[in-house]
Amino acid sequence: MSFIMPGAEPYYLPGNRIGCLLVHGFTATPQELSELGSHLNHQGYSVLGVRLFGHGTRWQDLARSKWTDWLSSVEDGYHLLKQSCDQIIPIGLSTGAVLNLILASQIRFPAIVAMATPSALPSIKALQILYPFLPFLSLFFPALKKGKPDWRDPEALLARVQYDHYPLKAVYEFGRCVDALQGALPLVRSPLLLLHSSEDTFVLPKHSERIASSVASSDVRLQLVNNSNHVISSDAQRQEVFQLTSAFIADVLGTAQA
Amino acid sequence: MRVQSGGEPFLFKGGRVGCLLVHGFPGAPQEMRWLGEYLQQQGYSVLGIRLFGHATDPSELLRVQARDWLSGIEDGYNYLQGICSQIFIIGFSLGGVLSAIFTQKRQLSGLVLMAVPYKLPSLAHYLRPTLPVLKYVWRYRRPKEPSDWFDKEAERINLHYPVQPVHAIGQIHDLMQALPEALKAICIPTLVIEAQEDRSAAAHHGTYVFESVSSDDKAHIKIKGSGHSLARDSQRELVFRHINDFVQRVSKAS
Repeated sequence: MSFIMPGAEPYYLPGNRIGCLLVHGFTATPQELSELGSHLNHQGYSVLGVRLFGHGTRWQDLARSKWTDWLSSVEDGYHLLKQSCDQIIPIGLSTGAVLNLILASQIRFPAIVAMATPSALPSIKALQILYPFLPFLSLFFPALKKGKPDWRDPEALLARVQYDHYPLKAVYEFGRCVDALQGALPLVRSPLLLLHSSEDTFVLPKHSERIASSVASSDVRLQLVNNSNHVISSDAQRQEVFQLTSAFIADVLGTAQA
Repeated sequence: MRVQSGGEPFLFKGGRVGCLLVHGFPGAPQEMRWLGEYLQQQGYSVLGIRLFGHATDPSELLRVQARDWLSGIEDGYNYLQGICSQIFIIGFSLGGVLSAIFTQKRQLSGLVLMAVPYKLPSLAHYLRPTLPVLKYVWRYRRPKEPSDWFDKEAERINLHYPVQPVHAIGQIHDLMQALPEALKAICIPTLVIEAQEDRSAAAHHGTYVFESVSSDDKAHIKIKGSGHSLARDSQRELVFRHINDFVQRVSKAS
């Protein structure tokens, strides 16, 4: 018997002294970054894919969690990698990228990759209006079933391990997390690659544009990919995302080492 | 940073034999860190996890469930699997209770239980039914037990919360209801270490724990001149050697 859903386990792939810290998104699991992790490990890097607190078990656990618990999970992963790596590169998707950027306001990293990053609540009318009432509403509706998926790659969707519910209390915590991001962004000085799907209807590409203009980093790159939903690390264009990610790391670290 | 300085979890990359270290309540990975460094020097891979709600803010333990701690151990096990073919689990106090229960879930090579309580004081048992209400009135318990440390310097730098969230004690209580059964189901090589001058809830429980375990290969060691915190107090070097001997012998045999 196990509390973690099969396929949702965190992972460690040992490699060289450059460590990639992979942080998944809200209601998702380390699985959505595992193929990217293997790709980076093939390039020689050490890879650690964390499981955020309350994720990958049952949604009731997520309903109990605070966004700061998720941040502690990222910190834990950072500390685990730090023992055997000199340089750590946080790579996150969606909420995972938000958490990485918040951490990057306190620690300077050699590079950061942020995929499909929200800079505020997604522009869904009902969510914007109901947001302040979520803690109250959660007393009657603890969780909301997810809507119809918009994946381009049906096999990737089939392989996906995630909750099929959004716990309302946790959605509220997500909002507090992107609130905290606002104060963090002007303190981020690390070289940053923002990747976003041009067809992301959940978190629009303008969120990444806003982040690009808010950080203090001198090296900020924003790259759009096509033919993908929000989860660009798993959907149809993932190979392109992998290539862009490893090319950015090689470029930034190469320049830094020269 | 959320995680207190000195309370960070740690991962030392070494050989194919791994040791998963689980700290106690309401402590921090620091309780296991010297042991971890020692085991790393012996060539093992070592991972010291941070149990949820520890080394951050005690208020996190007001909403913890025992399953959070067990899934945290699962996380550590999965990380170690990336580098190890054999995994030993070494738990201290509550960490030992969790480790004993976790052995039922996964393939492990061996188990070390340090200063593990067999059951909680009867007061905890009597108060348990009132806890759903009590925990709102009595949030934190301030431990009044006298110090049992021999090494005062180690005690001074010991990282732990000064309070014990009452809700979390209830979770531990429930978890420990399953301990006798869990111990009985254990058949892997097991080493039980107890401190003779332990004055915590685990005092003199080593024999109960040892006798409950079903393993053919089991040993019980009593350490003189140490308080509860076996891996930090005066006799730690001796404790480290016993653990190393055990891990070395068992990992070579299989």
